[in-house]
Amino acid sequence: MNNSIASAPNQQSQFRQTCSTVWMKCKAFFSGNPPAIIGVSLIMVILLGALFAPILSSHNPDKRVARPHVAPNAEHILGSTRNGRDVFSQVLYGARKTLAVSLFAGIIAMSIAIAVGVTSGYMGGKVDEWMNFATNVFLVFPQLPLLIVLAAFLGQVGSMVIAVLLGFTSWPWGARVIRSQTMAIRNKEFIISAEVMGESKIRIILVEILPNLISIVFGGFLGTVIYAMGAEAALGFLGLGDATEVSWGSMLYWAQVSSSLYTGAWWEMLVPAIALALTGGALALINMSIDQVSNPKLKTGPHLKLWKKMNHETEKRRGLV
Amino acid sequence: MSFLLRRLSFYFTAFLIAISFNFLLPRMMPGNPIDALFAAAQGKMDPAQMDAIKEMYGFMDGSFFEQYIAYIQSVFTLDLGPSVLMFPIDVTTVVGMSLPWTMFLALGSLIVALIIGVSIGTYSAYRRDGFFGQFVPPFLAFLSNFPYIVTALLLFYFFGLELELLPLAYTYDPSLAPGFSLEFIGSVAKHAILPMGSMILVGIATWVFNMRNAMINVLGEDYVTMAEAKGLSSYRVMYRYAGRNAILPVATAIAMAIGFSFAGSIMTEVVFNYQGLGNILLKGIMARDYPLIQAILLILVTAVLVANFIADLLYVWLDPRISK
Repeated sequence: MNNSIASAPNQQSQFRQTCSTVWMKCKAFFSGNPPAIIGVSLIMVILLGALFAPILSSHNPDKRVARPHVAPNAEHILGSTRNGRDVFSQVLYGARKTLAVSLFAGIIAMSIAIAVGVTSGYMGGKVDEWMNFATNVFLVFPQLPLLIVLAAFLGQVGSMVIAVLLGFTSWPWGARVIRSQTMAIRNKEFIISAEVMGESKIRIILVEILPNLISIVFGGFLGTVIYAMGAEAALGFLGLGDATEVSWGSMLYWAQVSSSLYTGAWWEMLVPAIALALTGGALALINMSIDQVSNPKLKTGPHLKLWKKMNHETEKRRGLV
Repeated sequence: MSFLLRRLSFYFTAFLIAISFNFLLPRMMPGNPIDALFAAAQGKMDPAQMDAIKEMYGFMDGSFFEQYIAYIQSVFTLDLGPSVLMFPIDVTTVVGMSLPWTMFLALGSLIVALIIGVSIGTYSAYRRDGFFGQFVPPFLAFLSNFPYIVTALLLFYFFGLELELLPLAYTYDPSLAPGFSLEFIGSVAKHAILPMGSMILVGIATWVFNMRNAMINVLGEDYVTMAEAKGLSSYRVMYRYAGRNAILPVATAIAMAIGFSFAGSIMTEVVFNYQGLGNILLKGIMARDYPLIQAILLILVTAVLVANFIADLLYVWLDPRISK
């Protein structure tokens, strides 16, 4: 009892310190880095839109609320679809589904990639040989055609099945990058000293190696999310997803079915398309910025300043300055 | 030489795995493959014809293992049976008709994107503190990461429908007879601009960033500084000294991009109604044409493997050290 009271303020100050370091890091990441600012703000807008879809949307996305193909007006900000659905509400709710599928696929893919990549890179020998072989085989298989065929054979699959399929087919690239990075740090002194101290392999992998892979893993994760989003949109557009669910992919499908572009109802097709485009582009900008921060060699102009600043912060924290 | 031999044996093994997967695919699917196969043809064919086809596909008799051996045989003899969708045309013929168009799209756009991307990457690394280096790479990263389907749809809408500049469907004007006439080639080129353009747009950022990152690393080397100190022209330093060495990691990335390019071609073909494999694949899927689907997957795997081998050859040519 006494103990917990005594440690409370200490914990609090520690928490505050962590917060301030995180804040400083964020500030350093964004200052003089317009791509990062643009990317993160775009993603924030999209995420908030998805999160507050029920509040922001003016109509039920699944209900017929207007006449077919009403042009954008005050009542229906982005017009209506051929089936009389409100496009604005659909794009908000669609964001939820599309983002959920892509994030879920990204998480599955990166989990497999980490498991295979780190094990392969750290263990070496026969294990590495076999795992690397499997990775390379998966890598040369055309994933998207395979995905199309699988989705088609399983019949109008739900979005979560698509996420799982995507996750299980898109890990090899990440595994390859993680493997080579693991091999690069495998023989560094801190790993060897951990081995000499008799730490278990699991602990070395989790505590010593993984933290050094974070930027690569996160970069791979964002890359997979972008790819998964494109694939989900593609499957939806081809009518291979569940067309009754509202996602950006299924919106494209209905816009295609109603030949909205030919009848002049561009909003039905272009709204989900532009939503997909902005999300993909924004994620790519974030990915690029992270790459430049985690890889000091790539720093250019403003980034060099940024790196010097971050370096200064670190040294100050260590008490060197 | 041993490097190439090792690669070849890897590709052969990968090919065998692909065949096995291809064999298992319809057999793993829910429902009886034979029923699915003939559901579309029900009522259109007489029973005797259907029995003959069943026998041809090896679905009827023999153990699982015998069927497998028969399938492998049929793959290596290119005797994949007739298509259900376009009965009685041979699957091999159907695929053979559309494969060249997909290769044209996929490899053509890959090569163009590679050349443009590597040039932009080189220049933006060399001028990385200037306006070009600061602005162009992020701009391309943004533009290039639109999903394939979205880029294709946007180009389709703006250049095809709104401006009516370019044709919206088919590989060439259907009223023309294929041949080596100027008119026909012109028509093919005109029909390829939009689909290829959308694929180039999606593919380009990979090369810009691969090249740029490799280039920035090389530019820090002493021999580049030396070349600059000697007073060589910046063109010479950029391409002869730094670029030549920076391109090695880019060459490794080509192998991976080939698969993506073929996948992208399949999506693009559907949007622009381009008569390649992607279009046929989708039609085959809709008709549950298993033999056709299997053949297309097989030919895609083969194309990717062959293209990978070519990328390996390219790598050996660029960096002779690797063949030892």
